[in-house]
Amino acid sequence: MKSAERGILSEHDLKKTSNKVVYGLMVFFIAIMVFTMMYPILMTMFNGLKSNQEVNSFPPHFFPQEWHFSNLKDAVNYIDLLMFLKNTLYIFVGNMVVTLVVLGMASFSISRMNVPYRKAFYFFFLMTLFIPATSYMIPNFVNLKELGLLNQYAAFWLPAGANTFFFLLLKNFFDGIHPEIFEAARIDGASEPRSFFSIAVPLSVPIFATLAIFIFSTAWNDWFWPSLVMHTEDKYTLATAIYKYVINVKALNTNIKFAILFLVSLPPILVFLIFQKFIMRGVTLSAVKG
Amino acid sequence: MNQTAILNDELPAKPGSKPYKQNRWKKNFWGYMFLVPALVIFIMFMWVPIFKGFLYSFYTVDFVKGNTFVGFDNYATALTDPDVLIAVKNTLYYMLLCLVVGFWVPIAFAIAISELRRFGGVVRVAAYLPYVMPAVVLYGLWRWLYDPVGPINALLGTLGADQIPFLTDSRWSMLSLVFMETWQQFGSGMLIYLAAVLSIPRDWYEAAEIDGAGVWARIRHITLPSLRNLIVLMLILQIIATSQGYQSQLALLDGGPNKTTLTYALLIVKYAFTQLDYGTATALGMLMFIVLGGLGILQFKLGKEDN
Repeated sequence: MKSAERGILSEHDLKKTSNKVVYGLMVFFIAIMVFTMMYPILMTMFNGLKSNQEVNSFPPHFFPQEWHFSNLKDAVNYIDLLMFLKNTLYIFVGNMVVTLVVLGMASFSISRMNVPYRKAFYFFFLMTLFIPATSYMIPNFVNLKELGLLNQYAAFWLPAGANTFFFLLLKNFFDGIHPEIFEAARIDGASEPRSFFSIAVPLSVPIFATLAIFIFSTAWNDWFWPSLVMHTEDKYTLATAIYKYVINVKALNTNIKFAILFLVSLPPILVFLIFQKFIMRGVTLSAVKG
Repeated sequence: MNQTAILNDELPAKPGSKPYKQNRWKKNFWGYMFLVPALVIFIMFMWVPIFKGFLYSFYTVDFVKGNTFVGFDNYATALTDPDVLIAVKNTLYYMLLCLVVGFWVPIAFAIAISELRRFGGVVRVAAYLPYVMPAVVLYGLWRWLYDPVGPINALLGTLGADQIPFLTDSRWSMLSLVFMETWQQFGSGMLIYLAAVLSIPRDWYEAAEIDGAGVWARIRHITLPSLRNLIVLMLILQIIATSQGYQSQLALLDGGPNKTTLTYALLIVKYAFTQLDYGTATALGMLMFIVLGGLGILQFKLGKEDN
């Protein structure tokens, strides 16, 4: 066996009985882990397709005895999911645009342009990483209120440009592009904005994709902050609406509740399964996020 | 053509002369222009709130009548509130539980999954899938799983064990939340560790095996030491994250039962949005900043070493 194909265990190790037992146990634990992960997720789906009586029966069944696909229709009609979806996508698109324009330009400037006191500017951005977000959550809210931004999409879009983590991701990416490309453009007479928009931006599609996934998952998952900033129902994001109208509501039938939860988790799961490779790579980057 | 351009570029005007200054301004103009929007936004939405946090901790914040200076009153209110002590204790307990229950899980599974000969990809996807689910779905789902008539208690029933009141018993409530969060989050940590485990040169194991090192010895003396820096970094990240935890405590239990899941950050939220006492909430935030600020710097230093 080639050395590149072995792990901690070699083929030889697996011939020993004691190692076989350990390996078997390991596979067993992994199998349990996979089951523990998949069971609740599949249960969310199947519970959403059962009759209410069956969901509440004890002990619970895994597969529905009768399939009630009409639950999905009831779920969409219970609250205005489409409106909340629209609000969420609105925030996602705006955040994406602001992040790319504001942070893309700033990180390009720090990474590849002539800026005196570059280090000082860089540190100015970086400093914010040392301050725990929760410690200035309240003044942040008060600040938005004083700026008159509450209940407006701008309260999400503008602060999206103040993300140090995304700034670092972009800067590291631009650092990795060969400076010769920009030198050549400069020599050929391209202006600085031109070399940003026609050279750096097209080269940055992979990092933009990674950012898009991060920004999408934040817009989709965040429920607490939007519930503070948006205080009329027509501005709620999907997650906030679910929190307010589904999670803590007793009067709602459990099967419809699960149908809603299933519908809401479907898009991120699909995005994940489709863009798996991007995401798996992005996760390693997020180690610096904190 | 290129050469002439380079020549032009390498003939700068003398420092101090007018063309030099103009030239430099022109040269740096776009660099500054590209920075301006980010500077404005960082100041408006990061530094101003941080500064206001410091300022407002000495004020009573009233949106209608205006703010009044109260000196250290907010700090006095915060420090004499018996709930603060409870909240600090709960937060420490929560952090400890997250370490004991959750911290080692991704490391162990990363090492185990790296050894899988088949289905490694499927297992990775399955482990990561819960992390993709929105938090609100998680809350709805686990409320049902933990229900007295939910599947976990059904399983305990068939095994002949007593039912566990996961969310309503004050001894179980925090632990139940930690289980839920570990379930959701270990996949992302696992992937980070897995990348590191897979980057360890295979030859080292080969050499160790030839030298007679058993499987455990190889894990102890090769795998774990190679992960050391990453483990320390992840430990600090987890401490920073869990010390600020409040969302699942708020969403599932609202700090109850009997204040057993009232964490420090949740107390800040409650001061601000239940009692509308933004001043005291800000003061509590400042106290948190003083305690946690050092950790952030430590994380940054270690992260730099790691890269």
